Amino acid sequence: MTALFILPLDVLVLFTVLTPFVGWLALRIKRKFLIGLFAAVGLLLSGAALYNMYADVSAGSPVLSATPSLFSSFFRVDMLSFIMAAVFIGLGLAATVYSIGYMEKDTGLPLYYTLLLAMIAGLVGVAFAGDLFTLYVFWELMSVSSFVLVAFRKETWEPIEAGLKYLVMSAAASATLLFGLGLLYGLTGTLNFEALASSPPTANVWLFIASIFILVGFGVKAAIVPLHTWLPDAHSAAPTPISALLSGIVIETGVYALLRTFFTAFLSIQTQWFGILAVLSILTMTVGNLMALLQTDVKRLLAYSSIAQVGYMLVGLAVGTQAGLSVGLPSALPAGAETALTGAILHIINHALMKGVAFMCAGAIILRLESRNLGDMAGIARKMPITATLFAVSLFALVGMPPLNGFISELTLFTSAVQANVGWLGVAILLNSIISAGYYLRVLRTLIQPSMSEAVSKAKEAPAVILIPVGLMVVLIVLFGIYPQPVLKLAQQAAQELLRIRGS
Amino acid sequence: MIDLSFYLGFAFSLYAIGIYCLATKRNMIRLILGIEILVNAANLTFITFSAYAVPGFIDPLAHSIVIVSIGLGGSVGAVALTIIVYAYKHYGTLDITELRRLKG
Repeated sequence: MTALFILPLDVLVLFTVLTPFVGWLALRIKRKFLIGLFAAVGLLLSGAALYNMYADVSAGSPVLSATPSLFSSFFRVDMLSFIMAAVFIGLGLAATVYSIGYMEKDTGLPLYYTLLLAMIAGLVGVAFAGDLFTLYVFWELMSVSSFVLVAFRKETWEPIEAGLKYLVMSAAASATLLFGLGLLYGLTGTLNFEALASSPPTANVWLFIASIFILVGFGVKAAIVPLHTWLPDAHSAAPTPISALLSGIVIETGVYALLRTFFTAFLSIQTQWFGILAVLSILTMTVGNLMALLQTDVKRLLAYSSIAQVGYMLVGLAVGTQAGLSVGLPSALPAGAETALTGAILHIINHALMKGVAFMCAGAIILRLESRNLGDMAGIARKMPITATLFAVSLFALVGMPPLNGFISELTLFTSAVQANVGWLGVAILLNSIISAGYYLRVLRTLIQPSMSEAVSKAKEAPAVILIPVGLMVVLIVLFGIYPQPVLKLAQQAAQELLRIRGS
Repeated sequence: MIDLSFYLGFAFSLYAIGIYCLATKRNMIRLILGIEILVNAANLTFITFSAYAVPGFIDPLAHSIVIVSIGLGGSVGAVALTIIVYAYKHYGTLDITELRRLKG
């Protein structure tokens, strides 16, 4: 049997197509949880298929898609793709299991899980893509399914309005991206990553124009500040598992795509981009943090903090771009470039965990209280101690408290900025971590406040199906904080492969 | 053979028209049309460059890209119209400025 794409992706696509039928059967026998279970099995199998690729990928040579595949699409899986896909499938699995508990009362569950799997398939496809057009196709698969998921609870006005806003901005950005890809294709005649990296187009004004279009196209999804306005609405209006996925992995996909394009097609103009990317990163984290300070809705607060976290990742990209055309020549690499990319990749992994847990814990509280207002949650820690503890761990990790994973990646980014002699970027990270402590600790204080309202005193602990995935992710947060070496090594290998792509 | 710059100029002006449409129009259906114009501007660049990259040769890669991209544009349009139908049910109008309850 010829493969459709590449095995982990095939499994996801197969389960996406089968979920509506299984969902219909499950509704006939009135066992709603079976649909979620089926989707979770699909993600598990896909994860297993991905794990099988680990030996090949870690050996250092990228795995290419089998040539006689049905759609003849080109995939190239290196360490960075592998890490991204593992994060996508892992957080996707957690969100699916969480959905079994969270979406219990909703109708249209077969559709919900189908779209969830389609979104994960799109994300994994983006990570695996070996050329920019394959990336674009899966990018659209991810976008279209996320539009519908944001507007999933169509009975109320807020998801519809947020979904429409998200759709208009995101679709315009995708078209802009395609326009930029068209220009890049005109300059080079190819969209293949390896071909683009081995003979990068010479720096000229058309390459700059193409790179602006592509930056805007990816930047809307990554919520870089002037383009972020859709994010707080869409992320707070979506059902909580989807918010966790959007904040935890979908916006990181934008950063991933920027890493890919900047370290292949735009090598020759990278150094000119450094200043713009540095300013954008500072703007993104500052605006995200300051706006988060003002929020009273807990999901909007977390959404704004996601924007700030994207700012930290952009620091890694900005410092990394100082490498420029010395990519592929290990001896000539400027100091800090490798550390910066390691930090950015590590922060992508860590942010997926931290923000996933934070959204899911907030969602568990919202499920019990049916209010997103932070003020209504006063004292909930006394009624939902486990949820509140897990929430607290994720908030401490987001601040960057030492024994947790957020600290490791922020420290790596800070070190890289100092190594590369742009200490002011590192100082920006530090100052922003301090601002962010202001609102994360405010959430925490509200949770443990002694007084409680009537609604809070009636609340009970979240169900086990919600607590188990969140608990496992918290274990990972602590583990990656105390013992970061394995994951740090993987991120380092991914960064090295990104910087060596011209040689391969 | 018509010069490349004419096609490119046309593609850029189509792009500008699409952005203008998105920025000024209040009717939701027109916004979707604006997005479709943007997609078409992008498709046009691909088609143009397919014929100009190598003289006397038309690169089939760009054509397959455009065919896939047209399909993707159609699916985005379909999803957009579905959401607009629900927005119309909630608000009773197609005016996007009536949908400003969310603060940016």
